Amino acid sequence: MSTDRPAIARQEHDLLGRPLSADERELLDLYHRLEALASRNDLPPCALMNCKQAMVMLWNACVDLDLLYEEPGVD
Amino acid sequence: MPAQNSSPYWNPKNETLRRSDLQRLQLMKLQRTVERAHATSPFHRRLFDRAKVRPDDIRTLDDLRRLPFMTREDWLACQAEKPLFGDLITRPATDAIRYHLTSGTSGRQPLRVLDSRKDWAWIGEAWCYGFWAFGVRPVDTVFFAFSYGSFIGFWGAHYCCEKIGCLVLPSGNMTTENRVKQLVEMGATTVCATPTYALRMAQEAQRLGIDLQRQSKVDKVIVSGEPAGSIPATKKLIEDMWGAKCGDTAGMTEIGTIMVFECSHQPGGVHILEDHFIEEVLDPESGEPVGYGERGERVVTSFGRGFIPLIRYRTKDLVVKVPHTRCSCGRTFDIYEGGILGRVDDMKLVRGTNVYPRAVEAIVREHVEVDEFQIILTREEGIRDEITVKVELKAGTETRWEEIQRQLGKDLADAHEGLRFNVALASPGELPRFELKAKRLQDLRTMA
Repeated sequence: MSTDRPAIARQEHDLLGRPLSADERELLDLYHRLEALASRNDLPPCALMNCKQAMVMLWNACVDLDLLYEEPGVD
Repeated sequence: MPAQNSSPYWNPKNETLRRSDLQRLQLMKLQRTVERAHATSPFHRRLFDRAKVRPDDIRTLDDLRRLPFMTREDWLACQAEKPLFGDLITRPATDAIRYHLTSGTSGRQPLRVLDSRKDWAWIGEAWCYGFWAFGVRPVDTVFFAFSYGSFIGFWGAHYCCEKIGCLVLPSGNMTTENRVKQLVEMGATTVCATPTYALRMAQEAQRLGIDLQRQSKVDKVIVSGEPAGSIPATKKLIEDMWGAKCGDTAGMTEIGTIMVFECSHQPGGVHILEDHFIEEVLDPESGEPVGYGERGERVVTSFGRGFIPLIRYRTKDLVVKVPHTRCSCGRTFDIYEGGILGRVDDMKLVRGTNVYPRAVEAIVREHVEVDEFQIILTREEGIRDEITVKVELKAGTETRWEEIQRQLGKDLADAHEGLRFNVALASPGELPRFELKAKRLQDLRTMA
């Protein structure tokens, strides 16, 4: 498995323009890392499918907190 | 962020958002939802083209009204034209992880719905707002009186409770007797059911000689699936029989989850999940918005389901919206006073008088001797409509039948411009009981 992390543009504000707290920044960072892992096709099924599950849970938290609003239908 | 277990809100950030910010958030989500629907759903693109509206026309929340309505009939027609799912869906069916159907209680063709992994997670998430608001916490043991079939029902609530960290008791196809025994034995603190079935289980407990108030640990009954959860007399009856607080929620298969929930302050209505939905209230005939305090049809736009964009969907549910300040809980989400009040197409005309089944139930449930009831509409001699309320009495109250019959008939007439209701006695066990949505009205006039 590759351990390279994709470069993620740093987001400083939520959807309403409020500065992100340190916790929110960490949640968003975790989400993007999981999103990157979940889009890979070279991981073992046990890693890939659990990454997808974890990713959608983080997606919920990030959407609830107005950190992002990405297309819900796409995994 | 504060310690979440002590927060009365599932999402403190949005549940207490200023109304102006909430509206900005809704506009942003609306714009993106419309863009996506236009780009990925031929169904929506067709509706938008027909209405001559493009995604970039949506610049303010008022522009929502430029968008066309979406109806159940449109949806069914597209399913019939392109089976199984029509061209409403935004992605290939193989991308879905879940399939469900509408309940089909009205006897109509069911709608078929698909959900992606994210959609399904969001469905559970929306329930979390409601369950947390009513006081469900990780220490709770939650019993689901639900059959876990293809009707979406409490599926999302089940996953919500797992997410919260509750001990979940799924009762599947158990009998009512076994359900009652299990929830007592396992020390369930929260019970989820339709209002009708919550009453049914309480009756069964009485038959078994189980005093739910003393022998069970249930302190919350969370109901969904029927308007009765917000009818004061029905709610009181549930609370009295269980010795617990009764909280209402309402959702629909078309949404996949709940769009309203009652908080623990029990304000006499349900909060709208306004960071995930826009709920308009419109005059059902003119389609024009009605103000706070006025009865109208709810029209929903959802931001959470990617597979099936729901934009200005006409629900036919009747509601009265009031400001969030009606509740002292601190949420800034507006409220539907009295929950879902019925359906636009529920109304029956009997000898020139409008009759709503929910209004009849509200009166019948004031009579604590009544165990179960049915409303039967008939046409006598081909011209004269008759309305009969058939009631089954609780054991031991039969000797008071004549008094109950007279008073119930009077109460029903008083609430319906003097319309005469026949009140008839049913034998014990004669009337049907329901687990899912109750069907307490039989209109036999069209069958004559």
